[in-house]
Amino acid sequence: MFKRVGIPRALIYYKFAKMWNIFFKEIGAEVVVSSETTKNMREVAIEIAPDEDCYSTKIFHGHVMELKDKVDCLFIPRFGSKHKYDMGCPKFIGLADVLRSLYPDLPKIIAPHFNMAKYGHGKIDFLKEVLKVGFVFTKNPIRIIKAMKKALKADKDYKKKLIIDMETLHQWEQSKVLLNDRPHEIPDERRLKIALVGHSYVINDKFCSLDIRKKLQAHGVDIITSEQMPREPIEEQLDKLENRLYFEFEREILGTIMYFLESGSVDGIIHLMIFSCGPDSLAGELASRFAQYKEDIPLLQLVIDDLTAEAGMRTRIEAFIDMLRWRKEKHAIHVPALRVT
Amino acid sequence: MPFTFPHFGSLKYVFVSLLHELGREDIVIPNKPSKHTFLLGARHSPEFVCTPFKLTLGTFIESLNRGADELGMGGGCGYCRFRFYWQVQDFILRDLGYKCKWVRLDYESPIDIIKELKRASNGCNTLQTIRAFQIAWIKNRLTDLTDQLLYKYRAIETTKGTSERIANKAFNLIVSTRKMLEIRCLKKKITNMFVENIEVDKKANPLKIVVNGEIYVVLEPTLNLDIHKRLNDLGVISKTPITLRRFIDVGQRFNPFIKMDFQKANAYGVKYVPYRVGGETQENLGDAFLYKKKGWDGLVHLYPFTCMPEIISRSIFPQVSRESGMPILSLVVDEHTGEAGFQTRLEAFVDLIKQQKEMNQIKEN
Repeated sequence: MFKRVGIPRALIYYKFAKMWNIFFKEIGAEVVVSSETTKNMREVAIEIAPDEDCYSTKIFHGHVMELKDKVDCLFIPRFGSKHKYDMGCPKFIGLADVLRSLYPDLPKIIAPHFNMAKYGHGKIDFLKEVLKVGFVFTKNPIRIIKAMKKALKADKDYKKKLIIDMETLHQWEQSKVLLNDRPHEIPDERRLKIALVGHSYVINDKFCSLDIRKKLQAHGVDIITSEQMPREPIEEQLDKLENRLYFEFEREILGTIMYFLESGSVDGIIHLMIFSCGPDSLAGELASRFAQYKEDIPLLQLVIDDLTAEAGMRTRIEAFIDMLRWRKEKHAIHVPALRVT
Repeated sequence: MPFTFPHFGSLKYVFVSLLHELGREDIVIPNKPSKHTFLLGARHSPEFVCTPFKLTLGTFIESLNRGADELGMGGGCGYCRFRFYWQVQDFILRDLGYKCKWVRLDYESPIDIIKELKRASNGCNTLQTIRAFQIAWIKNRLTDLTDQLLYKYRAIETTKGTSERIANKAFNLIVSTRKMLEIRCLKKKITNMFVENIEVDKKANPLKIVVNGEIYVVLEPTLNLDIHKRLNDLGVISKTPITLRRFIDVGQRFNPFIKMDFQKANAYGVKYVPYRVGGETQENLGDAFLYKKKGWDGLVHLYPFTCMPEIISRSIFPQVSRESGMPILSLVVDEHTGEAGFQTRLEAFVDLIKQQKEMNQIKEN
């Protein structure tokens, strides 16, 4: 029986962290999550990962290397999608196979596959995969199902807490509530409001995003992230596109940008892109074009890769914030009235 | 409303005859893309989008300048970025001041293809549309055959240029033949044209190399710097298992008695990537085993820069090469690919295979 399961703290871990942790704990496995990304980890990752992979995927290799000797097995799910049409990134499905091929000395990889869009997986297939994972650690199916229920509930609660509703969004727009850490007060300056948009594995990773949340906080900026956005305005905005944007994680990014460009309720938008990320390249292009059509809201797109230097990034963010403050004197911010739906 | 589509190697002839069958006479046949087209597309494209986006955008701009305003492209929901291309290209072209209408085919579902083709046709009913579509896939078989024969005979012909001339004749014949019965006879006719008219070097013992990879790169000569011609000039017979028939050849796809090439390759590929990740990943990996068994000497894998599915296969290819014993060369192409570097790598690869083959023969004796 395996005991210790390793989960790399990268990519979709940031989406499903609660669920996975609780599930493995309940079935009696010891969970080892790799530490936060460090510079050393990045150096290792850049050295060994395939050249053309996107920066986040490369970082993933670094996390796996850290865990390799500490655990009995690794948990790298092949996550296709959990929507009828939308897909994740193809690399998420192939990741386990690539790792197994590149490093034959890795411990056993547990790689359940779930893809609702293309394979039409439903609840029964999900249960099958969960049981398959569970039997690696325990022989008791009832325990596995109980653990699954608990994990799904935890995930639901986490999402409920993370994703705000429309009412809270409007209250935030009117500066009545704070969604993230309290920004520092800067004398004689108003508090700015910025939407921080990007993949959850970028904006939550302190090293990858160069700790942009702290930087914005220090500049007295109140932020909302794209993963906190309620789903209704995102779906509403993306229905304007003729072709469905079928990348599940990209939807919330482009939807958030489109929503704030239309509502005009923030001072600016910062979009963190990852170099050579497939979906980002197209959605980023669309976002920049939409921002050109609507000039009231400035959009800053920062492309991050392994060569991004902290100083350059800091300068650009500072310049952007200065510009916003300078603009603010001329442009009164537009606060939409609460919509009753 | 003149209709146009991206230049897609010899599939151009299939598209043209499909549009003829649909009653469209107002077609702007895209020019063969040049370096200029490529740079034109790249200038207006996002920074790290994959290369086919840039080339198709460049081709569209050139065709729009020549008067087209209805563009055909893939659409729908899929694994990779390709089906979302048109949406972004639409915004880019609109910003450049062009007005265009799109016909977008969800190429994995034949029913959707027929619905969309019917809408694009010049007043065809459903039966006529199905007939036109059938003619298109049968003609695609013929263009694939012509390509295969060309890549074979060009390597071993004694007078340079004869096989290309005959291939052009064959393509024209494919486009101009309209009746089903005559189309059915073309297969024999084209094979005979090559066999009878080309003098071959009978003593030659050419190497055989498979070229596979991402479909647009493999089939579009501008993007792959005409790799087949380069291989043929080195005296190597080349072949590509990649074909659009995988999606549109309904006749063979759903025939339980015929196994298409991609289905055979897939059976080997699932060992490495058990689930489909889009593109041709599983098939490309499987091709190494399939063609090793058939006695081919090497495999060249082509993919565009930042292509998502093919990066997966590129990462797994070293292991496949070890386990199958097939020499594999992976090449990435984009608008900055230099001809000289490309040629050097191909020559080195061919030399290595040649040496290996000779060594093996000495060992056997």
